[in-house]
Amino acid sequence: MQQQQPQPQPSPKPKKKIRVPRVVNGVEQMVEIEVDEDTGPGWGPNDKHTLLNHKITRVDGPKKVTGMALYTYDMRLPGMLYGRILRCPHGHARVTKLDTEAASKLPGVKAIIQGPLTELRFAGAPVAAVAATTPEIAGDALRAIKVTYEVLPHVVHATDAIRPDAPKVVAEENNLQEKAKNGDLQKAETAFATADAIVEGEYFSQRVHHACLETHGMVVDYRGGDSASIYASTQGTFTIPGDAAKELGLEQSKVIASVEHMGGGFGSKFGIGIEGMFACRLSKQTKSPVKLMLTRYDEFVMAGNRSGSWQKLKAGVKNDGTIVALTARQYRLGGIGQGSQAGQPYIYRMGDTYREVYALHTNEDSSIAMRAPGHPQASFAIESLVDELAYKIKMDPVAFRKKNLRDEVYHRQLDRGAKEIGWSRRNPVAGGNPGPLKRGMGCAVGTWGGGGNNQCKVDVTILQDGAVYVAVGTQDLGTGTRTYTRAIVAEELGIGMNDVEEHIGNSKLGAANPSGGSTTAPSLSPSVKDAAIKARMMMAERVAPLLGNPKPEEVVFSGGNVSANGRSITWKQAAAALPAAGITSHGVWRADLQARGVHGVSFAEVEVDIETGFIRPIKMVHIQDGGLPLNRLTMESQINGGMIQSLGMAFYEGRVMDAQLGMQLNPGFGDYKLPGSLEMPEMVPIIDDDDKREAVIGIAEGCIIPPLGALVNAVFNATGLRIRDLPITPDKILMGLMNTTVISRG
Amino acid sequence: MTKSRDRQEDQKQPGHDPSRRKFLKGVGIVGAGAAIADQLWVEAEAEEQRPAPDDIKGRVKVVLDVNGEKRTSQVEPRTTLLNTLRNHLGPAVTGPKLVCDMGTCGACTVLLDGKPVYSCLVLAVDAENKKITTVEGLGSPDKPNAVQAAFVENDALMCGFCTPGFVTTISAYLKKNPNPTLAEVREACKGNFCRCGTYPRVFEAALAAAKASRA
Repeated sequence: MQQQQPQPQPSPKPKKKIRVPRVVNGVEQMVEIEVDEDTGPGWGPNDKHTLLNHKITRVDGPKKVTGMALYTYDMRLPGMLYGRILRCPHGHARVTKLDTEAASKLPGVKAIIQGPLTELRFAGAPVAAVAATTPEIAGDALRAIKVTYEVLPHVVHATDAIRPDAPKVVAEENNLQEKAKNGDLQKAETAFATADAIVEGEYFSQRVHHACLETHGMVVDYRGGDSASIYASTQGTFTIPGDAAKELGLEQSKVIASVEHMGGGFGSKFGIGIEGMFACRLSKQTKSPVKLMLTRYDEFVMAGNRSGSWQKLKAGVKNDGTIVALTARQYRLGGIGQGSQAGQPYIYRMGDTYREVYALHTNEDSSIAMRAPGHPQASFAIESLVDELAYKIKMDPVAFRKKNLRDEVYHRQLDRGAKEIGWSRRNPVAGGNPGPLKRGMGCAVGTWGGGGNNQCKVDVTILQDGAVYVAVGTQDLGTGTRTYTRAIVAEELGIGMNDVEEHIGNSKLGAANPSGGSTTAPSLSPSVKDAAIKARMMMAERVAPLLGNPKPEEVVFSGGNVSANGRSITWKQAAAALPAAGITSHGVWRADLQARGVHGVSFAEVEVDIETGFIRPIKMVHIQDGGLPLNRLTMESQINGGMIQSLGMAFYEGRVMDAQLGMQLNPGFGDYKLPGSLEMPEMVPIIDDDDKREAVIGIAEGCIIPPLGALVNAVFNATGLRIRDLPITPDKILMGLMNTTVISRG
Repeated sequence: MTKSRDRQEDQKQPGHDPSRRKFLKGVGIVGAGAAIADQLWVEAEAEEQRPAPDDIKGRVKVVLDVNGEKRTSQVEPRTTLLNTLRNHLGPAVTGPKLVCDMGTCGACTVLLDGKPVYSCLVLAVDAENKKITTVEGLGSPDKPNAVQAAFVENDALMCGFCTPGFVTTISAYLKKNPNPTLAEVREACKGNFCRCGTYPRVFEAALAAAKASRA
C-alpha cells in the first residue's frame, strides 16, 4: 500500500514515543519512553524466516539425552561437603533449646549452624543446618540434633483461619487482611435487579507445588580468600552473586554464579533462598565447597507452592447473554505470605462490578510465584461462573464467551478451537449422554503480558577462522533459550546452527533478566538480534573490498556465503578478512522487536465414569498467539507443558494439610499426584499463525491459564456436576452424584 | 509381620531381584491403608525392643561394572547405588538423577543386567557382579542410540532432568518389545515422572525410535 504523503523534513534522529512494561517494586507497569524512530532492521514477516519460526531441535538436546549435561545437582568438587537442613515438625513453635553436641561428635560432621528464625510459623520451617562428608552422614547429624520446642497454637485451613477465635499466625495481627476494594457495590446491586438470571458460587483452588525435578539448591565453592564460585539451580543467574556475597562477606564482583543447565523452576527459583544462605554460611565456616540441595520433602514443605484461593462470586445475566453485574470476594491463601490472585472479573466484560480482595493467612510456608501467578486461580473461578451463566440462559458457551469478550482475537481462537475439538459433537445438555461413561466438553479463555524489558546485553564475536560466539549471562530453564539465541545469530549471518556456539548461564557474561513472567524471550531476543545485526554490518564493512565495495547493507549473508554485486565468497573466506582478534558487537534491547499481550483459548474433552467417579481426559486443545514464534518445536512443547500442569491442577494435584498436626500429609511423589503417562489425553498444541505481529512475546504463562477452566467445564458438560473445589477427584464426583454438598478443604 | 520378615531373612534367597515391578507391588501393599501403617508402627516398636544387631560400621569396598568398566569405591554399606554412582565413583556418573530418593519418580533409572531399576532403591553392595548400564552407557552425543536420537528429534525433553530416566526405561522396554503400541509405551513409562510436560513427545519419540530400530 503506497500512499502519497508529503515528505517529512529530514531530521538527524527522529524520535517516537512507545509504551513499554517496566517492573517497579515487583509490579509491572506500562510507561512511555522515547526511542529512535529508525532503530534498525526488524524481524521481517513471520513467514520469511530461514531458521526462526521453524522446528529447530534443541542444541542442548544431545547432551541432555545422554546424561552429559551437568546440572547444579551433578557438581562434585574436591573436598566438597554435603549440607542438609533440619526442619520444624510443628505448625507453630519456638525453639527453646538446640542441643547439637551429640551431632557434632559424629565422625564426618564438619559444621552445624542454627537457623535465623526464632519463631517458626509453619511445619517445615528451617531450624538448623549441617555439613558433612556424605549426604548419609548429614542425615545422621540431623537425627542426632535434639531440639526442644515450645509448641504454639496453629491453624492451617483457610476456613478455620478466618474465624475470629482462630489462632493468630502472626501475634497481634488479624489472619484476615483487607488488600483492595474496587468498583461500586451499590451500582452492582442495582444491576442485579435487571438480570434475568443470577448465579452465585463459592470456589476453592488448592495449593499446588512447583515440584521442580531438580530441587532448589546450590554448590558454594569458597575455600577462604576473597572470591567464590557458585553453581546454582536458578531462574536468574544474576539474582545469585549479590546475596551470596553478603553471606560470604565478599565483594559482589568476586562472586561468580553459573547455571549451565537447570532442572525446572516454574517461578520458584529466584535469589539464593534460605538454602543458599545456609550453603554460604556452611562453606564460609568450613572453608570447603558445600553442596546443599533440598530433599524432596524439603521441596514440598518450604520451597514453593501456588497460592490457594477462595472466591465468592455472584453474577447476573440477561437472556440475550449480556452479563450485567458481578460482585466478588476474593481471598488469597498464601500461608504466611501474601498470596496472589488476579482481580475479578478477570478478562470478561461484566457490566457493573465490585470486588474485595483479602489476604488470609495460615500456618503454612509462603506461596511463591508460580507460572502465571494468580491467574489460573482467577480463571478457574470466572470460567466456571461464565459457563454456569451460559447454561442457565441456555446459550452455547462459545457464543456466550464471544458475547462478553471484546477482543476479536479470542473470537477467532474460539472458532478454531471449537473446530479442532469437534464442538459440534458435544451434547448441549449437561450430563445428557446415556450410559455410565459420560463424555463432555468445555472451553476457557486466558491472557498474559509477555513483554520484555531493557536488561540484556549480548556480545557476538566472529573470529578470523569463522567461529561465531554469542555470549550473554541468561539461563535456559528448559524453555529453549540456548537454541533460539543461537538460531537468531545463525539466521542473521546466513550460517548453520552448528556454526554458532552460545555461552550462557554465567554472571561474568553480559547482563540478563531473571526468567519470570514470560519476559525472557522478549527481553533477550531483541538484544541478540541487535548484536547479530551489528556483527553482520561490521563484517560487511570488512569484506566490502572483496566484493566490489558495496554498502554494508547491500551485502547478502545467506547459505554460508557472503555476496554482493554478483560476487560471492564463503563464510570462511569472509571471516579471513577480519582482524586477527576478530570482531565483537554489543547488542542492546530494542522495544520495537518485542511486544506484549497474548491470547490463549483452551478446549477439553473428558470422560467421567459415574459409577466410580474416575475422570479420563480424552483430548486437550490449546491455541496460543505469541507474535513471532522463535522456534515452533520448543514453543509447542511449552504449550503442551502448560496444558499438562493445568491438567494436574484440575484433577490430580493438591497439598493436603492435617488440621491437628499442622503439617503436610503428602510431601512426596508417592502421595502428591503429578500427572503421569497414564493420564495423558491426546494433546493438540496450536500456534496461532493469524497473529502477524513481527515481534517476540513470551508465551509460557499464557498456556497454563485456560486449560484448567476448559477441563472443569468439560466435567460439568459430561455429568451436570458443578464442582467448585479443586482438584476434582473421584470422591467429589461421587458425592456430587449423591447430591451431597462437597466439603471443601480450603 | 516381623516374623514373616525374619523368616525371609533366614531363607536363602534365590537371587535378589530388585526389579521395578516387584517394587511397585510392594508400594501397592504399603499404600493399602491405615491398618497396615498401624501394623508397621507396632512392628517398628517391637523392633526397638530387640537387642540391636552388630552394626556394620565404616566402609566396604565395592566393585561395580558400570557401562562395561570395572569401577571400585569404598562406601558405607547403606549407600545406594545412585549415591555411589554420583558421589563416590571418580569420575562421577551423574546421568541418573536424584529427584525423590524414595522410588517414586524414575529419574534415577539404570539397567541392572538389562532390567530397569530405580537406583535409589538398590544398595551399591547389592549391585556387585551385575552389569550396570546408565544413560551414558546407551549412547553419546556423537553416537546416540535410537531412543536418544528420537528424543532430540521429537523434542521429548525440556529441562531434561527426567530425561535420562525416560531414555533408560524406554531403551530397555524396546529391547523387550520392539514393536509397541502407544498404550504399551504409556504403560512402560508409568514409573517415570516429568514436570515440564513432555509426555506426548516422549511417547512420539519412543514410537519413532521403535520404527527407526526396525528399519
